Amino acid sequence: MKLLTHNMLTSKCMKAVTVGYPLAINASDVRVSEVDFNPDFIAKIIPKVDWAVLWNAAESIGQLEGLPKEIVENYENDQDFLKKAHHVLLEVDVINGELICPETGRKFPINNGIPNLLLNEDEV
Amino acid sequence: MLETPRYNLKGREEVYEPSEDTFLFLDALEKEMPFLKNLGVEFAVEIGSGSGVVITALASFLACACFATDINPEACQATAETAVLNGRKVDCVNMDLLGAFRNRLFDVLLFNPPYVVTDPCEVVGNGLNRAWAGGFHGRQVTDKVLSTLDLLLSEKGVCYMVLLKENNIQEIQRFMNENNFKSDVILERKLRGEHLYVVKFSRIL
Repeated sequence: MKLLTHNMLTSKCMKAVTVGYPLAINASDVRVSEVDFNPDFIAKIIPKVDWAVLWNAAESIGQLEGLPKEIVENYENDQDFLKKAHHVLLEVDVINGELICPETGRKFPINNGIPNLLLNEDEV
Repeated sequence: MLETPRYNLKGREEVYEPSEDTFLFLDALEKEMPFLKNLGVEFAVEIGSGSGVVITALASFLACACFATDINPEACQATAETAVLNGRKVDCVNMDLLGAFRNRLFDVLLFNPPYVVTDPCEVVGNGLNRAWAGGFHGRQVTDKVLSTLDLLLSEKGVCYMVLLKENNIQEIQRFMNENNFKSDVILERKLRGEHLYVVKFSRIL
């Protein structure tokens, strides 16, 4: 599970949940790999990302690598910033662990890079 | 030209093997390549990715972040493997439709739904039956996505869906029109006992 994906996931489909975002991460295995850097693409997706959630998620699994806490001004032209964003969004992969609903504490396992967000009948 | 991605479903009996409906979908995507390249896609997702060939094919010509969901955990694994086999990246999540995603994220939504008309009692569990069992009029699962499309797609987002003649295409088009979506039939094909359509839904702006 990439941190970009984590940024998009919520437990709001659970009946007991109002917002369900963000999900906390408990990571037991994290893999960092090299992904082709496309600065234009990263610049385009930054507005679609909840930056605070991204920063906190990266920090919670020890993968910040100097990511600024705030989006810098004129980030579209700041290669260094874009590279750091690229790293955190696309190069960090949580392989095993769990996601935790902030309202119910319900745990969703992550196995082999794939989070399981299926709900039981009584949770829907 | 859109090459069919390589795949290996050995030992994955619960995953839907690419069939003629899959290839129809790939042909439709090939036809839409110019449109999609021009759209400016950031996020694309396939619901029910199965083997993963369709989302992997999309990943081969669009420089966007590709996601896939499937109710069947084996299909999620298969999708991830198919992407890797073809040198692509697709992040997969085991979930029912797009229920666990935030709203209005996706610029492209792909769905080859379980469109076969069956008894509603067949629409259970998360095994291979979920690849084809569509319940009443074959619309049980399709309708869940169609009726919430406004919440699933970004402002410029488009949805491509495979539909069967028995799903009552015209009624779907009428319903979607009432909900401010236009529909275009991209491709149509008569296969063994199935008359299939690939329909594109987009917002009326």
